[in-house]
Amino acid sequence: MNSPLSTEIGSQLIMLFAALMLVMQLLLVVQRMLLTNVRLFALQSLMLTAIAAVVAYYYNATHVYIVAVLTLVGKVIFLPWLLNRLVRRINIVQEIEPLFNAPTSMLICGGLTLLGYLVARPFTTLHKLGNNTLAIAITLLLTGFFLMINRRKAISQVLALLTIENGVMLAAVALTTYGMPLVVELGIFFDVMVAVMVLGILVYRIRESFASMDTSKLDQLKG
Amino acid sequence: MLLTPILVIPLAAALACLLVPWRRLMEWINILAFAATLALGVQLLHEVLAHTVVTEWREFFYADALSAWMVLLISAVSLGTSLYAGRYFRRDLAAGVVTAGRIKEFFVLTPLFATGMLLVVLANNLGVMWFALEATALSSVLLVALYNRKTSLEAAWKYIMLGGLGLALALFGTVITYAAAVGQGGGGRLPSFNWSHLMTVAAQFDPGLMKLAFVFVLVGYGTKAGLAPMHTWLPDAHSEAPSPTSAMLSGVSLKVAIYALISFNILTAQCPGTGYSRNLLLGFGLFSMFLAAPFILVQSNLKRMLAYSSLEHVGLICAAVGLNTPITIFGALLHMGYHALTKPVLFFAAGNIHQTFHTLKFRVIGPGVVKVLPVTVLFMGLAAVAAMGLPPFGLFYSELTVLSGGFAAGRTFISILVLMALIAAFCGILKQLTRILPGARKVERPNDATAWDGVPAMGLLVGGLLVFSVWFPDPLLQLIHQAAGIIKGKS
Repeated sequence: MNSPLSTEIGSQLIMLFAALMLVMQLLLVVQRMLLTNVRLFALQSLMLTAIAAVVAYYYNATHVYIVAVLTLVGKVIFLPWLLNRLVRRINIVQEIEPLFNAPTSMLICGGLTLLGYLVARPFTTLHKLGNNTLAIAITLLLTGFFLMINRRKAISQVLALLTIENGVMLAAVALTTYGMPLVVELGIFFDVMVAVMVLGILVYRIRESFASMDTSKLDQLKG
Repeated sequence: MLLTPILVIPLAAALACLLVPWRRLMEWINILAFAATLALGVQLLHEVLAHTVVTEWREFFYADALSAWMVLLISAVSLGTSLYAGRYFRRDLAAGVVTAGRIKEFFVLTPLFATGMLLVVLANNLGVMWFALEATALSSVLLVALYNRKTSLEAAWKYIMLGGLGLALALFGTVITYAAAVGQGGGGRLPSFNWSHLMTVAAQFDPGLMKLAFVFVLVGYGTKAGLAPMHTWLPDAHSEAPSPTSAMLSGVSLKVAIYALISFNILTAQCPGTGYSRNLLLGFGLFSMFLAAPFILVQSNLKRMLAYSSLEHVGLICAAVGLNTPITIFGALLHMGYHALTKPVLFFAAGNIHQTFHTLKFRVIGPGVVKVLPVTVLFMGLAAVAAMGLPPFGLFYSELTVLSGGFAAGRTFISILVLMALIAAFCGILKQLTRILPGARKVERPNDATAWDGVPAMGLLVGGLLVFSVWFPDPLLQLIHQAAGIIKGKS
């Protein structure tokens, strides 16, 4: 903590970026253009990178810098590129009408945000950098669930899963002071990359067999 | 060096299968790799009995009695699966259901799946354990989608979406556990995130955070273990996967997720005032058992029925661990072992039936399967009697152990609930299988030349089940006692 800038500013910066992550999430909930959704996810990941960089700077922790770089390369550049390619290949521009319309979705997400703050309330007294991010992490998780339920295109559900992952990583970077041990971070990173590739294969195969990417057509297995 | 080869051999087998072009060789690579893993597992058993724990790479890999027991189960089921898979896929290929490329996919992904499961039980670091579980989910989802039918893609999609959500929640729980552990050090750096290290300091964890963490972990890993109400992927994935994969999923993969759950349960139980983790386990376990029983009764698809039966057994294991008496925990571990030997046989038999009748619908398979596939039905009958919990098979003893442990601990009401669920499931399986196995055939069908298919695999597992039901070797008994001691903890 022997940095020229005070911890107060660091804490504020982390809160700012975390709040921006939440804003991106809410935009994702109401935005139906798939390519824009991918870009919003990339921006959200960029905020996560910034948070990791701030944490690394204040604690002078080399391995959190590595996490920041990995997030930048993986989630801001590589995954959006991969998803972009997938969206273009399957040739679908926008999500069909979701379960709940935009105003209702916003209201529900507002409720979920409140819930997130309520759950995190008992734990926000820990005297650490960015201790209020737990609430945002939980909110990202909850709104991610909502996003997944609300959307029907397979690729939107993949994006929802990725935003949930972002929420978890926010908790991992900000809540645990130094971030998780490097071996764990590396493991998570590669798992997410492989997961998206596997999901991409499945999306493609679903598209080929069903001539559609609408997961509400996946309804033959019951009981 | 013992733990490293256990992990490296299946991994090397996967890579080797990727490189060789001959299918026969791939089959043998799989069989030999799992046989070697099983042999090393037996050696690990003796090492663990001699030294209590075995560690490697500066405690990165860590094996106690519980992990050694899991290693034995994983390698035994994988060996059975690889013995069965060869003939199964040759028949599928002849029928034109799969392409040669997909079969190669199977022989590459199955050892990877097994490696992931072995890493789950051998990893010391809770983060690495999560990573390994995600790896098992990713390798098995492509196996579920192997046939590339519409229904199998649907099952795979449900599996990966629910599994992915569950694993994200479990990761969140893992992160909060880390935060709880850091909290006690005043925000400093945690020396290590190893389970063995956390156990020594767990008493000073922040109990509030630990409670929150356990809820996330329970829902997360519980999804992967198929606990109700997060089980909805389970019957789909089990019925749509190729039968060898169904056997792996049901035989061990569910139990590996339970192992992860138990590890967190042990940790949470060390915290003051958080005995509630086992009550949660008990609740979810009982709920799964009660949900499974009626679904077994109404299924019209053989493999879906078997999947619901797995749900019931998983529920019993969870409930028994949740009861938290030495006897019930012992029973739960025993039950894991016997169930791992029983359920794959049922899935192998279901695979034979599927390939002969080209359907899994009870109505079409119709009465009198015994006339068409006498050998398969013999093994299926034996395994089904075992799965229903009848003597002389081991599942009878393990269920009886759990029940008597529950009654002895004074949990009469809960034990009666468990008994009721067991009886309901018993009736369900009995009713369903008597519909199809015995009787006279309505439609005559030639007795084709595939009568002896899958006998080595089924014979191995049923033989093992019979032997271990009447004669339980002393080292194995000691191992389970030790493992039960670990789960029970000092609380």
